[in-house]
Amino acid sequence: MSNPSPIAVPGQANTPSPWQGFVAYLTPLRLALALGLASLAAVMLGPIFIIPFPWALLAFAAAGQWPRRLPRWWARWLFQVLVVALAVPVATLLVYLVAVGGDFASLIRSEGRVMGFLWIAGSGLLVGPLLAMGALYRQRDAEARNQALSFELERSELERRALDARLRLLQAQVEPHFLFNTLANVRALVEAGSPQAAPVLRSLIAYLRAAMPRLQDETACLADELGLVKAYLELMHLRMPDRLVYEIAVPAELLRLRFPPMALLTLVENAVRHGIDPSEEGGRIELGGRLDQGQVRLWVSDTGVGLVQQMGSGTGLRNLRERLQVVYGESAALDLQENQPHGLRAEIRFTP
Amino acid sequence: MTAPTALIADDEPLLRESLQRALAAAWPELRVLAQARNGREAVELFEQHEPDIVFLDVHMPGMNGVEAARQIARRAQIVFVTAYEQYAVQAFEQGALDYLVKPVDELRLADTVQRLQERLRARAAGTPQPQLDLQAAIETLARKLMQPDAAGSNATASAAGHLQWIRASVGSTLKLIPVDQIVFMRSDEKYTLVVWQEGEALIRTPIRELVEQLDPQRFVQVHRSVVVNLHAVSHVTRGPNETADLHLRDRPEILPVSRSYLHLFRQM
Repeated sequence: MSNPSPIAVPGQANTPSPWQGFVAYLTPLRLALALGLASLAAVMLGPIFIIPFPWALLAFAAAGQWPRRLPRWWARWLFQVLVVALAVPVATLLVYLVAVGGDFASLIRSEGRVMGFLWIAGSGLLVGPLLAMGALYRQRDAEARNQALSFELERSELERRALDARLRLLQAQVEPHFLFNTLANVRALVEAGSPQAAPVLRSLIAYLRAAMPRLQDETACLADELGLVKAYLELMHLRMPDRLVYEIAVPAELLRLRFPPMALLTLVENAVRHGIDPSEEGGRIELGGRLDQGQVRLWVSDTGVGLVQQMGSGTGLRNLRERLQVVYGESAALDLQENQPHGLRAEIRFTP
Repeated sequence: MTAPTALIADDEPLLRESLQRALAAAWPELRVLAQARNGREAVELFEQHEPDIVFLDVHMPGMNGVEAARQIARRAQIVFVTAYEQYAVQAFEQGALDYLVKPVDELRLADTVQRLQERLRARAAGTPQPQLDLQAAIETLARKLMQPDAAGSNATASAAGHLQWIRASVGSTLKLIPVDQIVFMRSDEKYTLVVWQEGEALIRTPIRELVEQLDPQRFVQVHRSVVVNLHAVSHVTRGPNETADLHLRDRPEILPVSRSYLHLFRQM
């Protein structure tokens, strides 16, 4: 998991400060439980047995937070259990000392007190670690639940993104401006009796078929996409023969690759709309590809006006990037560069 | 009366030819003096030939048809030609401007020709023409056309005026980074370090200037020298002395939040 979730996992760098963690651990319920167990022990065995439980709780909570980092070989749970086991006799001893006014010697001399201490320390050593293990088990359970929840959240987020991308593809539409202008050109060819009319109509049909809303085509490959791009560029070249030149050069080994429909077309349409069309002189569009150490690179480069024109908010490119990541995973990338002296180059990278 | 003359301006050669052919059929006396490939050429050729009528494609590279019409103004009868501009067609109808829709329909063209002939006859006879506020109509049209991309010439800003792209040199190439991919920016003496999902780069624009151009809903300053994209924040941990550390989703860096910006991360 690349992004750490903000769950309080003791001993990891992303927890809040130790004090906050310590205080947060001492919930009223836990305090009440410890005091309840202590009172029960006191009633059943003797008043002195009230001591170990609250101390064990405090020790357990503290060992969960301090020190912030433990050596790698030193597991946090083992540390907590040991601290609890030690805390019980030490705390009992301290209480005894306070009770007798700090006089250690008088404590040693009283056989009853020594026996009491041994009883409490012994039972503490036995019960403390057991309680600590129980608490640890519950804590791990809660963490597992938290993790499961955050995984679930992440998965549903991914699913939502995939669905969004599919929906946007469904909404992909043929721009009326493009359609009517192209039809006007086709009509001009037909009227003039030009032999170009039939191949141009073929390109238009190929383009329209590909641009029709449809669900994700799992079988689409790069060759299909290049067919679509070629149809589009042929139409645009017909419309601006003096302003648009293009070249498509993609190695044959890439042609059978699975490829999401309309991905390259989006880039080529951008190059025409924002690069070539606003320019009086027009320019050249090159579409190329390369297999580079297992990574596929596909680029669309133009010599148009570049970024001096309004490019919109980049929504189209953002959608494209998301679609690529849905299809190829997080490693898929899309970036833009400026060409010299002017123009743009967009490159897609992914591992098939 | 001398033969009426015309100029055709369209960036698509087949459509220029097509319109000329259609006009030849619908109005044999009309002489088309020249064809222009863009708005600038249209204005130049107009000055040179002074035709009675100018057919202007609305969408042309460089200077578009509406701007060319502004410059030609009242000195000729102007007919706009457009493929499909929803807004433009509305403006034409309100402003009583002449227009043709591509592909040009013969009947529609015959109507336009008849109207043009009447106007030219009236002008030749010296009868007062109904005063159409041509200029106002052209202005309305220009406004309608500009609406979809209202921000105009500023290349990298959106309609709301916020920066959308950052140009940065990475090695020998000039990259364009969409701002929503930026994770954070840190001022680094003379430069600003821009860190995005896939890399980092130094740019010369000071962080103060960048902040003013970015969407404040998205980018906030959390420290004198640090601006962060709120969408890239994973969580914030409190530190001593009213400071905090900011952790990111996709980057390992931990950013400082200074006291004066801590209020941005208070609990709701």
